[in-house]
Amino acid sequence: MILKARLAYSPTMPGTFKEKLLSDDFLVTAEITPPKGTDLSEALGDAEILRGLADALNVTDNQRAVMRMSPLAVSKALLDKGHEVIMQLTCRDRNRLALQSDVLAAYSLGVRNICVMSGDHTTKGDHPKARPVFDIDSVQLLEALRKMKEGFDLSGNAIAGLEGLTVGAVSNADPAQPMQMLKLRKKIRMGAEFIQTQAVYDAGQFEIFMEQTGDLEVPVIAGVIPLKSAKMARFMNGNIPGIRVPPEMIERMEKAEDPADEGISICAQTIIEIKKLCKGVHVMPIGTHDRTPELLRIAGIRKGY
Amino acid sequence: MIISSAKPFEEIMELLKDEDDIFIIGCNACAAKIQVGGEPEVIMMQQRLEEQGKRVAGYLVPSAACSVASFDSLIEKNPVIKEAKTILVMACGSGVSTVSRVADMPVYPSNNTDSLGGRSHGEVLPELCAMCGNCTIYYFGGICPKGQCPKQLLNGPCGGSMEGKCEVDPQKDCVWGLIYRRLEKIGRLNLLERVWECEESR
Repeated sequence: MILKARLAYSPTMPGTFKEKLLSDDFLVTAEITPPKGTDLSEALGDAEILRGLADALNVTDNQRAVMRMSPLAVSKALLDKGHEVIMQLTCRDRNRLALQSDVLAAYSLGVRNICVMSGDHTTKGDHPKARPVFDIDSVQLLEALRKMKEGFDLSGNAIAGLEGLTVGAVSNADPAQPMQMLKLRKKIRMGAEFIQTQAVYDAGQFEIFMEQTGDLEVPVIAGVIPLKSAKMARFMNGNIPGIRVPPEMIERMEKAEDPADEGISICAQTIIEIKKLCKGVHVMPIGTHDRTPELLRIAGIRKGY
Repeated sequence: MIISSAKPFEEIMELLKDEDDIFIIGCNACAAKIQVGGEPEVIMMQQRLEEQGKRVAGYLVPSAACSVASFDSLIEKNPVIKEAKTILVMACGSGVSTVSRVADMPVYPSNNTDSLGGRSHGEVLPELCAMCGNCTIYYFGGICPKGQCPKQLLNGPCGGSMEGKCEVDPQKDCVWGLIYRRLEKIGRLNLLERVWECEESR
């Protein structure tokens, strides 16, 4: 019944994320960060802003190796509020037993979409002495999920009931990185049903990426992060792998009277430029989703808002 | 070879604070080659310990500290060891371990054991092999990702590399870049297309 109520006032098309991946819809996914603590109100509030706008919400998994609430609990809380969830799952904190175990737990709680990744190294986070696991890698985790969907765990024991689970993966969108492109191909060979990319700023470069991967029949959802200042753009260029903000964009940010406004405007423009190339956008703002509805409206994706 | 590095001298002094009549055992294999357990380092250690007021009974640099038949074989090489009350081994952990098995007295390490590596053109090359017991290094152009990638990935790089450098240590090249260039150079880029399944990770 929750579903019906949601559809009644939602400009997103009805259906599950899986159905939408196969449809002609242009999709919006967005990132929700679990709390550092036990209070879910901020995460739920952020999700509420996106109700009717996002087709699914990614719940991050100790992102940047910073310890936060388990995405399992946050996913469940979001599901209870009627949101569709993509639970992220990294290989950093769990061995193959724990990964499979958490997948079973997630499914039983209602999670139907999982997005896998290696995960940032523990030395980069707030517990730098933690032992990183990396028992299996993201390609192998896709293999594990494929086997689980076929009804078997990694040791070949029968397990039942992961019907309809949709599994995706992430990628950088830099066509100049041949090893990254090779790995992306492996992910798709191992069953990734959608790809969410690192933030895209250079539409031209993204177009080349999409051309190079044109033979891969997998929906690509392009990541975007609205800039807040020229300083942030420079910081990302120097510190966030796979992100390249072009110099002319940094210049625009520098000259802007209100850099946050300019950041939204630039991001909307990027979305407009790449919209025809990909299946959707994945919005990952620094901070809250307060301005995401406006961003999507300017980009012409969710016109009613 | 086993790559080890010398512990800070203060740490060694702390280890030996209640010990005296020390016998030093070096190692003429790996530790000598990387200058943390050859005769010059052993003599230097003896001097420094004596400067700190320790009595050093003597020393011995066997061909390999990790290959010692018995305590008698050590006595044969330097009988002074009989008068010692403690042993300081300037080798890797295997050397310390092997000497401990044959000597009925406290045995201390002077080094930290870091990895299985090599040396070429005078440069010490750490972490060349993870000793996983299932060698597949050929597929990676002779550059082992289990040894050199901090995430031990087998199917390609993580997304954390910046400008070709490793996410964990920006001073180091991402090993996947090195593997790619090496395989390109020897005309075997096709090897990278192999998917390594879970079964092969251990």
